[in-house]
Amino acid sequence: MAHDATHAHDAIPAHDGHGQPGGIMRWLTTTNHKDIGSLYLWFAGTMFLVAGSFALVIRAELFQPGLQVVHPDFFNQMTTLHGLIMVFGVIMPAWAGFANWQIPLMIGAPDMAFPRMNNWGFWLLPVAGFLLLLGLFMPGGAAAGGWTMYPPLFVQGGISYDLTIFAIHILGASSIMGSINIITTVLNMRAPGMTLMKMPLFVWTWLITAYLLIATVPVLAGAVTMLLTDRHFDTHFFNPAGGGDPVMFQHIFWFFGHPEVYILILPAFGVVSQIIPTFARKPLFGYASMVYATASIAILSFIVWAHHMFTVGMPAAAQLFFMYSTMLIAVPTGVKVFNWVATMWKGSMTFETPMLFAIAFVCLFTIGGFSGLVCAMTPVDIQIHDTYYVVAHFHYVLVSGALFAIIAGVYYWLPKWTGHMYDEKLGKLHFWLSVISMNVTFFPMHFLGLAGMPRRYADYALQFAEFNMIASIGAFIFGFSQLIFLAVIIKAIRGGRKASDQVWEGAQGLEWTVPSPAPYHTFETAPVVK
Amino acid sequence: MAERRGSHWQAARAVFWSFFGVRKKSHYEQDAGRLSPAQVIVAGLVAAALLVLILLGIVWLVAG
Ligand code: HEM
Ligand SMILES: [Cu+2]
Repeated sequence: MAHDATHAHDAIPAHDGHGQPGGIMRWLTTTNHKDIGSLYLWFAGTMFLVAGSFALVIRAELFQPGLQVVHPDFFNQMTTLHGLIMVFGVIMPAWAGFANWQIPLMIGAPDMAFPRMNNWGFWLLPVAGFLLLLGLFMPGGAAAGGWTMYPPLFVQGGISYDLTIFAIHILGASSIMGSINIITTVLNMRAPGMTLMKMPLFVWTWLITAYLLIATVPVLAGAVTMLLTDRHFDTHFFNPAGGGDPVMFQHIFWFFGHPEVYILILPAFGVVSQIIPTFARKPLFGYASMVYATASIAILSFIVWAHHMFTVGMPAAAQLFFMYSTMLIAVPTGVKVFNWVATMWKGSMTFETPMLFAIAFVCLFTIGGFSGLVCAMTPVDIQIHDTYYVVAHFHYVLVSGALFAIIAGVYYWLPKWTGHMYDEKLGKLHFWLSVISMNVTFFPMHFLGLAGMPRRYADYALQFAEFNMIASIGAFIFGFSQLIFLAVIIKAIRGGRKASDQVWEGAQGLEWTVPSPAPYHTFETAPVVK
Repeated sequence: MAERRGSHWQAARAVFWSFFGVRKKSHYEQDAGRLSPAQVIVAGLVAAALLVLILLGIVWLVAG
């Protein structure tokens, strides 16, 4: 059965026997973890192009000082939708896609624990994405209050703010379902011999991420529900005139928000921890340390939230507390970076595209971690809060961090998913264009921020012109380079050199024991792990 | 106490090292063999609460 029908469209083997529908109904009704994984990944990829083009609208307007391209209110809609969609519509669904494809393959399970809930969890996403984008066509345009949804703007806005709140509820429901599924699968469906401490690190990081989601998504849902009742049902949670407090929203939001940034990055740590040992041809240095560090990052992430709020007014003691706790997070993070470097140390390394992106991750994520520490110092943050310095920080951790890890993971597992090797030349071109243009785009933002340029404005003072022009040029190169990625993926789906089962010489783990492409059903009889 | 089934003390030490993010291989193997998940989670939550108290103590010393 090794290499039979391979294209994604005709891959349903006849032996299935329970008469699955074809065409669009196949995808609407599928309960197969590989199908659902592909759906998540295609959804994330599509939304990436949408939210990416919004970013290009932003950078086009900021190419020069003055207002040239869009109306300032539309500019604000673009920043808001860009942020919301990149976080909830791209990075999170992409990780859910990886989880669906890889977790059963990596722990030797036939599928996810709750296949029907899996289907429902995915199909909620396009609905939420539709609601977010629908706002663009509503009176007053899309929500423009920022991805953080702060009141009073989010209480005062029009109908599209309700659509946004509804979308967040739906996305939250989807995340919770995904998390329950992942936790249940990992805890109950591992192959005999696959003890917790033998699990691949990607599975570990997702297990911990799933707990983070279950703990924080309801908090976000509560926050936006309070917005909703303030908007329509005469409550005054965030309205000082009625005895409420808008700062309370910020506390609730960031109690979700900071763990959320770890939700975005922990699976990235997992993917990088799979890729580096493969291409260094050495086992991961400090596997147990990695698990421990991930767990402690997850716990610590709950006691740092007010570092996003140093400027809103807090007692000095609270500022100190959040400054200290935030700086402590750097310790386990540093341990991870150390372990990745130590894994590469004296390894026999080769530099295929997944490895290139993984190495770029280690270097550039570290820059983002350091600028995070700079932001964590209260007196410094009071200067740079809401400037482009913060924008630089979070794009280093999210673009060269989370996104690069997603790209690395796609290159790494694409041969297993499609049965074909991707075009290595195009992959390298994609890598070099991305890594250079990413730095051209975001590094100058550090300087802009330190010089005082505020974020979320459509215009700026003349002295910021040069760096903005550089950043905009970088952004357009970065954006268009991603089309190469799309081309590589489509090319690999349609054909190319046959991938072996092992794919990568140094790869370890159960997913490499099944044929490439992975058949529709795998591990129907559990493998035994020694 | 080496043979006893994971004591509170062992759970506390495992969690302490995890906050730091490092664990010696032989010790980790003992942890993995002896500690139950529930034990580790409870120890983790207690340790997190302790950490908050310690930080508050330091803040109090500095700013108090
Ligand atoms: C070493 C670890 C990190 C530290 C110490 C840190 C610290 C900070 C601080 C203090 C801020 C607030 C800056 C301000 O608004 O004035 C901030 C903002 C931010 N960080 Fe980090 N961070 C770290 C890692 C990460 C990671 C891993 C991610 C995501 C993957 C992330 C995403 C963000 C985002 C999105 C914001 C801005 C949110 C907004 O206001 O829109 N950070 N970080
Ligand atoms: Cu934070």
